[in-house]
Parts: sequence; C-alpha cells; structure tokens
Amino acid sequence: MSKRRSLAAFAAAVFVMSSLAGCGGGSTGTPATTTAANNAGGDTTTAAAAADTQAPANNDAGGDATEAPAAEPAASGDIKEFTAFYAVPGNELNDGNDVEEIIAQKIGARCKQTWLTGQTADEAIGVMIAGGEYPDFIDASTGSQQLIDAGGCIPIDEYWDGYDNLKNFWTEEQWNSVRAEDGHIYIIPQFGNRWMYDTETTHNDEAFWIQVRVLEWAGYPKITTLDQYFQVIEDYIAANPTMADGKTPNIGYEILSDDWRYFCLENAPFFLDGYPNDGCIIVDRDTHQAIDYNTTPTAKRYFQKLNEEYKKGIVDPETFTMKYDQYISKLSTGAVCGMVDQHWDFNDGELAIKKLGLDECTYVPLGIVIDEGVVEHYHSPAALDVSNGVSITTSCKDIPGALKFMDDLLSPEILTLRNWGVEGEDYLVGDDGLYYRTDEMRANANDQAYINKHLCSYSYFPNYSGMDHDGINAASPQYQPKEFYDSLKEPVKKCFDAYGVETYVQFLNKAEGTNEPWYPMWSWSNNLTSDTDEGFVWANMAEVKHEYLPKVVMSDDFEAGWDEYMKQYSSRCDIDVFLNAANAEIQRRIDVANGN
Amino acid sequence: MKDNAAGLGQTLTKGPRTLINKKLLKNQRTLILMGIPFAIYAIIFCYVPLFGWIMAFQNYKPKDGLWHSKFVGLLKFKRLFGDDVFLKTIRNTFCMGAMNLVFGTVCAIAFAILLNEFWTVKGKKVVQTISYLPHFLSWIIVTGICFDVLSMDNGIINEVLVGLHIIKEPVIWLAHPKYFWWIVTFSNLWKETGWNSIIYLAAITSINPDLYEAASIDGAGRLSKIWHITLPGLKPTIMILLIMNIGNVLNAGFEVQYLLGNGLVQSVSQTIDIYVLKFGISNGDYSLGTAAGIFKSVVSIALIAIANFGAKAAGEESLF
Repeated sequence: MSKRRSLAAFAAAVFVMSSLAGCGGGSTGTPATTTAANNAGGDTTTAAAAADTQAPANNDAGGDATEAPAAEPAASGDIKEFTAFYAVPGNELNDGNDVEEIIAQKIGARCKQTWLTGQTADEAIGVMIAGGEYPDFIDASTGSQQLIDAGGCIPIDEYWDGYDNLKNFWTEEQWNSVRAEDGHIYIIPQFGNRWMYDTETTHNDEAFWIQVRVLEWAGYPKITTLDQYFQVIEDYIAANPTMADGKTPNIGYEILSDDWRYFCLENAPFFLDGYPNDGCIIVDRDTHQAIDYNTTPTAKRYFQKLNEEYKKGIVDPETFTMKYDQYISKLSTGAVCGMVDQHWDFNDGELAIKKLGLDECTYVPLGIVIDEGVVEHYHSPAALDVSNGVSITTSCKDIPGALKFMDDLLSPEILTLRNWGVEGEDYLVGDDGLYYRTDEMRANANDQAYINKHLCSYSYFPNYSGMDHDGINAASPQYQPKEFYDSLKEPVKKCFDAYGVETYVQFLNKAEGTNEPWYPMWSWSNNLTSDTDEGFVWANMAEVKHEYLPKVVMSDDFEAGWDEYMKQYSSRCDIDVFLNAANAEIQRRIDVANGN
Repeated sequence: MKDNAAGLGQTLTKGPRTLINKKLLKNQRTLILMGIPFAIYAIIFCYVPLFGWIMAFQNYKPKDGLWHSKFVGLLKFKRLFGDDVFLKTIRNTFCMGAMNLVFGTVCAIAFAILLNEFWTVKGKKVVQTISYLPHFLSWIIVTGICFDVLSMDNGIINEVLVGLHIIKEPVIWLAHPKYFWWIVTFSNLWKETGWNSIIYLAAITSINPDLYEAASIDGAGRLSKIWHITLPGLKPTIMILLIMNIGNVLNAGFEVQYLLGNGLVQSVSQTIDIYVLKFGISNGDYSLGTAAGIFKSVVSIALIAIANFGAKAAGEESLF
C-alpha cells in the first residue's frame, strides 16, 4: 500500500509540475496527423489549427483552458503552447515572463518549462515512463537512455527536413555519434556547440574551490597540491575563526554527500591523478584500459587527508548528514572556505552570496593534484555530450510545430533575445557594435526574482556558446571578455589581477585540442540499469561507497576504517565485471571515432 | 483509513452465521446495490493491478511491454535474496515497523486515558486539538523540524543535554546508526500519538458510566477504575487495531526514512520502499522492484493471518 502511495505521490508531483492543462489527455496516437482537437498544448490552438479550418474552440483535451492569455493582443490566439520538463534542478519562470512573451509574439509559440524538484532525475523519469505520458519536450538528463528504451521519444531525424537551423546545429559526423543503436536521432544535445571560437570565461565543472577572501588573506599563494590547499584553509581558520561580522563561525571545508551528489566526496581521486572527469573510471591513455580509481594509492591518500582534516575540525562535522538544501544554505552564508563541487551544483549558493554583497566570499577554482609534477586536467573543452539532450516525446501532438519552435529559437535574433535579453533594458550597444551593461543591468541579471519575471533563455533548448552570430559579441554576457571582467566586483578583480588571469577558466590548465574519443565515460555509466551485471555492480559500488566513505573520513583509526571499507568493497562489488564492460565500451567508442 | 472502517464495520455486524437464501437477498437488495460500486472499485483498483505482478517474472522493459518482455522465471527473486542490501532493508522495515506499532499503540492508549481523566471538558478539547495537529503536517515539515531539533549548532536536544552535563560535546545524532530507529520512532510518536488516540478516546466514551459509578460506590480510586473498567472496556478495540496494524508493520514508512537518511546510516535507514524506488525506478530494473513489492505484500498478508489466528486462539476479537 505504502509503495503504491509513495509512487502515487511522486507521480502526482511530477505530473503537476510537468503537465500543463490537458497535456495528459489522450494517449499517444500517430504523431504526424495533428488536428486542433487533440492539440497537446490543450490551450487555445496551434498553427495546425490555422491551417485547418477547424475552430479553435473545439478543445477536448481536458484540463483547464484558463491559461489562455485573454489580455494579449489578438494574435495571441495563434500562439502555440508547449510544455517542457528538464530533469535537472532549476527555476520556474513566472507566467507572462517578458522575454518569453516577446519571443512568443515573434515566433508564434511559447513553452512552459518545469524542472526537477525534490527528486532525482532517474526517479522523475522512471515515474513518467511508468505512466506513459510526457510533456512535449523532455531533457531526461541521466534518465535519457531509460526514456529512449521505453520508446518515449520520437525519431527526430524522420521529421526534421526543412528545419535547417536545427538540422545544421551539429555536423553530419556529430549527428552520427548521437544516433541510437537503431540509427535514429532521439535527443538533440543542446550544449557545447561553439560558434566561431571558444570564449568560455567560467569553469562550470568540478574543481577544488576556494574563497577569494582566503586567498587574499594568505597573500595569493600558488596552490597546487592537496596538502597546500588544506594548509591554507587551516591557517585561515586559525586566524579567522569567524566571518567579518564577528558572529558567524567560519567553516573550513564542506563535503556534500546527499544521494547522487556524493561525487563531491568520491570522485576527486582521478582529478588528483591528473585525469579528466570520466566519472566512473580512469582510462589509461596508452593502453586504453579502464582503471578503478577507488582503490588507487591516491584515493587512499586523499581520504586519509580528509580524515585528518575531519579530526582537526576543518571539515564541518555535520557535513555527511546534510541534504543538498542545507548545503546550499550553508554556502549561501559565505562562511564555507572551500569544497569540491561542480560549479553548476553550487551556483545557487554563490548567487546568494553575491546578493548579500559578500563577493570576497565567492569561489575560484583550483586545479589541485596529489603531488607536484602531476599535470591537472580539470577543464575539458566544451564537448558534444551524446548522452544528454532535449527530446520530443511521443505525447507531443504537434511535431512540426515543436520542430519549428526549436528551429526558430536558433535564429540569430531570437538567440540574442534568449542570451542577452532586451536591448535597452538588459544591455546597451556601444558605437563599435559591442554590447555592454550598466551595473544595474548586471545586478538585475543576478537577481533571481528579476530573471523569473523578465528573462527567458530557454536554457535547455539548443543554444550556441562562443560568439554571437554578428561575429562581434560573445554569445552571452558571461562570455563577453570585457563585459565579464567589468562585471567582477572589486575583491574578485584584485584576486584575478594577483594571479594574472582574466577569466575563471584561466585558473586551470588550458584545455588543449579535442577530447579523447572515449570521453566522457560517465555518459555510459549514467545510463547503466541494474538489470545488467555491470549495472548491478555499479549500483552496489554506489551503495558501499555511499556508506563507507563517510565512515572512513570520520573514523578515529583511519587504517582500520580503510581496511573495513576495502573488505566490504571487494566482497560486495565484482569490480572485474564492471571494468570489462567499461573496456568494451571504450573500445566501441574508439572504433566509432575511427569510423569502423 | 478505508481498511479501518471496514474492520470496525465487521466487528459491529458480527453475529451468528445466516444462510444466504432468496428471501434474504430480496430483503437486502438495497444494501447489495449500495455495495456494488465499492466492489467494482476494489476490483478495478486493487485486484486488476495485481496483473502487473507478472513483471517480477520477466526482465521487464517498458518498450517491450508486459506481453513481449523476456520471461526469466524466479531470477529476479534470486537476485533479490542474494543481495545483502535487500536483506538489510527487510530487517530495517520490520524493526522500525514493530517499534512504531508497540510504542505507537502504548502511547496512544496512555494518552487517551490521560486525556479522559482531564477535569474540564474545555481543557480536554484544547489538549486534544493541539495534540492531533501534527498529524496534518507533511513529513517534509516534520523532518525539517527534526533536523533543527537534532542540529549540532543550537539544536535543542544538544543544548539541553550539554547544559545538563549529560554529554560533553554536541552529538551528530543523524550520523550514528544506533540512534536512527529511535529518531524515526519518536518522530512518528510526535506526529501521530494525538491522532491515534482519537479512536481510543471514542471507545472510552462508549463505556457505560454506570460501571464507574458502581465502582466509586465500592470505593475504587482513579487508578483502579482505569485498571478495572477503562482498560477492559478498551480491549476489543485494542485487539482489532493491533491485528490490522500488524499487517501494516512492513509499511514502516518511506518519507521519513528517505528524508532523514544519509549515507552513514543507510544500512539501518533503508526500507523496502526505498529499495524499490532505488533499484526499481532509479536504476531502471522494474522487475526487481516488483519482486520486492510482491515479497512485501505476501509477508504482510501472512502477518495479518498469524495475528488473527493468535487473537482467535486467545479468545479475543478477531478480524475474520
């Protein structure tokens, strides 16, 4: 009973979030033949209706049609409504968001976007699959393979002729690597597509992060090894037990280990050894063999270091019982000196810090390695990630409309609207054609309430990074080098100057050339299901590590704790099964890259 | 709730067995007609979905559906019972369920009796209302309160215990497996005691006041009245609720363990429901999840049958 009830609760939550109006109405049905009557949007009508002679009032999709914007100009009757669900955390925009409306007027469609709340991506997608009903667009994140296997996505390549912006978004070869086993394209990877050249300014990925104020206090030292990193934090905490307000105690180091986010605890060993973020394994660059990073000498030294710091009180004693929300709220106070995390994961916390005006408490990335001489590889070039992307689902009743929507979103004018906002309100244009912003505009762009009301980037639809289509400006404000540097607050600027860098990315080694053909292997491990042997091992590895790594870090006797962990790990996880499967996948990817 | 109502109804109508004949059917046709929608409801929502159990014997893939998934026999059950994680979840579910049952019942009865002894009616109503309010809070809020109460900085438990010199340093309560079951039990008690006592309170009010009067005349004090009149009067209610709740032992909960749990205590915090979610939904092995669900249902039915048999053997009220 309780199982069913909890599932029902999940289902309810997901569907409330993800389905507007009558999207849950009919069942699948043949996609290409759309009429106004069974329009997925459920509200008002579609262009199909305009083409059809059918009256838009014939709305039997069920649910409430009250969303119909009555106060809009007459043309709004022709605006299509789509729904999208992204299986990642995010902020829901207000209804009637300004830029969303402007785009809707220009291209005749808008999309209500909902995000993951309080669940993992796999749970949300798993529940949707069980129900068999989806919003029009989905980015299933780590549930992508599940969704495709469940037949939840339409093969986009069968419908996309005539939508050239979309079709040419990636090259023919790149599309080929996206194709599923049956040769069809089900997902459109939306990120990592550079227009002209790379202008990346922020490191959005994983690193050892440290606060600007700590570096400033320490006199901007060069920090490369794990020992140096913790030494600086220790010294800082010893000298500054509280924050500038004299009340809030400083916290040396946080380790987030809530559910799937425990990568903050467990995956640093491969970075410390100078390997890129393959996620589940290290891939030897010469032999192309998978290596288990959990049992390397580096792993042991890293956890021993964490254990020492825990005993010294540098690591927050409560760190392992924290939920993600608690972690973000601790970070938001600005009291936490450092941590390992993905930048996108703690971005909310950093925004809150900026909102408080504590810019000296924001973070810069450090490429920490285990010993001097190891070359760090934290920053990888923007890569086509074939495991994630936006899909059109089988529940979408207007596939041509959905494709046109995505296609239109890629037109230069709309791209500028999505990425920069409205001219005169969100940015100004200089005589040389360069966009720039006033301080107020910058503050607005960091203000979540303002973003919800005004900006609409359709962030999980295909988008370009690098340069804007005019060839003068960067694709979005944070990539505009001058704009980026000018937008930095004083303490951060000072720090940048001290290290002689102009962007966050420059704190790390430059990502040279292209990625290895097998990169990133996490796109393979994320999609493992536990009904395969390697998937079952993978699930058990997570079980053991999730329990024993915190124990190891908290143990009074590190050696005994580590031995116990290794004993559990080797007895419960048949690691060879996992490595063999990984090796097969590496070989497969190398073969694909070589055109076999 | 539906189960409760059905159970109580049955005890009320319990009597000598009557033979079903035409006359009886005719006489009671209104009742039968009224019952039909509920029978249909039960068939559609309780029995038809059982068809999905077939998944547990397949390697179910949503794409292939129930009809075309590969049949694998008992493989999923073998994997389930070969999995140390699952065996632990059985233990956790059972222990937390049993603790909830025992402490929940005892506290609810004690609370109902105390409330009944309240000297003013108004005061009694106020206390009762306040005490069952937490029932309407969602677990999200209750666990939020838990986190605050157990917190290391300024958590009231740590403050009080350190202030009384019972412990020297604040304790990270949620990091120790040995405390976890107690934390869950106390959260449950805090949330549900007031609510659960309502039914006992109702049973107490239906005890004939003459009995109390007679006892007073015989010189019985408060305690002996509780012991000799109130508790025996409550016995049938207690037995029925106990039997039904024993069937619920394996429904030890999902939200509270899911929300309070973390990696350090997962070996004691994960319940069968969480396992189903993790391996069944998140890791995409729907068959394994179904198998775990079947196991749970079968054990629950067995538990009810055993409890019922026990009650009957002891000459007490029973369900069937």
